[in-house]
Amino acid sequence: MSPFFYFFFGFVAVLLALLFWSLLSPKKNAHSSLDAAAFQGSDRRHVTYLSQIHRALAPADSEFVASHGSVKLAHRVRKERRRVALLYLSSVQDDFQKLLKLAGVIAVLSPEVGAVQEFERLWLSLQFSLRCQMIRIRLHCGFAALHELSGLSRMVSGFAVRMETAIAELGERAALATELTSSLDSRGVRPR
Amino acid sequence: MIESAQVQNILWAANVSLGLILALLLIVRRDYRVYPAFSSYVLVNLIQALLLFLGTYRWGLSTFALWLMGSLTQSIVLIARALAVAEICCRLLSRYSGVWALARRVLLLLAGIVFSYSILLARHDWRLVFQSAHRAMELSIASIIVTLLIFVRHYDVETSPTDRALAIGFCLYSCFAVLNITLLERFLDDYADLWNLLGAFAFLGSLSLWTWTLRKPQSRTEPRQILLPSGVYQSLTPEINLRLRLLNEQLSRFWPAEANHS
Repeated sequence: MSPFFYFFFGFVAVLLALLFWSLLSPKKNAHSSLDAAAFQGSDRRHVTYLSQIHRALAPADSEFVASHGSVKLAHRVRKERRRVALLYLSSVQDDFQKLLKLAGVIAVLSPEVGAVQEFERLWLSLQFSLRCQMIRIRLHCGFAALHELSGLSRMVSGFAVRMETAIAELGERAALATELTSSLDSRGVRPR
Repeated sequence: MIESAQVQNILWAANVSLGLILALLLIVRRDYRVYPAFSSYVLVNLIQALLLFLGTYRWGLSTFALWLMGSLTQSIVLIARALAVAEICCRLLSRYSGVWALARRVLLLLAGIVFSYSILLARHDWRLVFQSAHRAMELSIASIIVTLLIFVRHYDVETSPTDRALAIGFCLYSCFAVLNITLLERFLDDYADLWNLLGAFAFLGSLSLWTWTLRKPQSRTEPRQILLPSGVYQSLTPEINLRLRLLNEQLSRFWPAEANHS
């Protein structure tokens, strides 16, 4: 049978899968919603807990527990830390989603948008989600050592500072923030 | 046992009846003012059914004259469908002028590529020329609708459930038509009866969805969208994209390091 025969079936299967996906409501996350606080440098942002998380992931602690405590305790500590790392990864994703959503709202409410900027953002979001999923799978499987998780923590701190600055800069544009917030209200974008 | 021809007649009658109900709903509720292209499409479909009925009565089944009339009327129906889909695209996104301008370019390019590619892949058999063009058109329509709905999801744009239901009806019917025509192209005469039957059945499904959706009157006025000053996008978006890129780069630095350690 001709491969072209299968091509049409494959194409339709892909279209139907995409149709189904596009009709699903995007995952609503309390942390990723765009609200007025996002423009005002709220102290509730995840990065404010960075030092605690960094301390929790310090390799010295796990070495101490392994040498002085029982195997069961060391296992429990590792499990807990993995959970913390996963939560932290989710918070990083939330920060990313927040910026994405902000960019999306600006694009929707703008009379002109640039194709290059829009496709770049789409590409970045795809890459970011894929990477996060890969890291999450590895953390779930227990492949990542604790000192690597500490590396993740340090990595987060780098961009978190930049994020804070970026969002604060946006917050300074009070007029824009007000305008955006009122536009969000009029569009029915769930303000929180 | 019910014969295939009887089932076909029942389905034909059901399609015409439902088409009439839908047309009446559009007229009585004055929704033809909200959906002029879609209403024309429903009307054109009814006229085609009437013409084919008269043609069958006049010339009989499996005649060249009926085939020619079927092909010609189907071309008109396809054009009407394309216009109805364009209308839905417009209704879903045109309030957001920036995103709509981008979506329009993407959708037109995509439709052109999909159409050309489907024509190139078709079997070069003169009996199937019309069916190949029909399939290419249906595949383009389905691709346009899916891409449009992806745009809607990506930008979290508010849409009316009616517009979405109309789009889904068109997309499902187009997907089914592509599969049906592909099977017809492969099995030709052996599949012709079943092809007619399944096609009518798929159309009945879409008609039911549309009739159910349009059972309530639609409001004509869309809330006006307040847009931001044009400079906001140019000043903020590159900045946000830069931050997203940095975030991504940081994550990519973590990932290979982690892979090397394990």
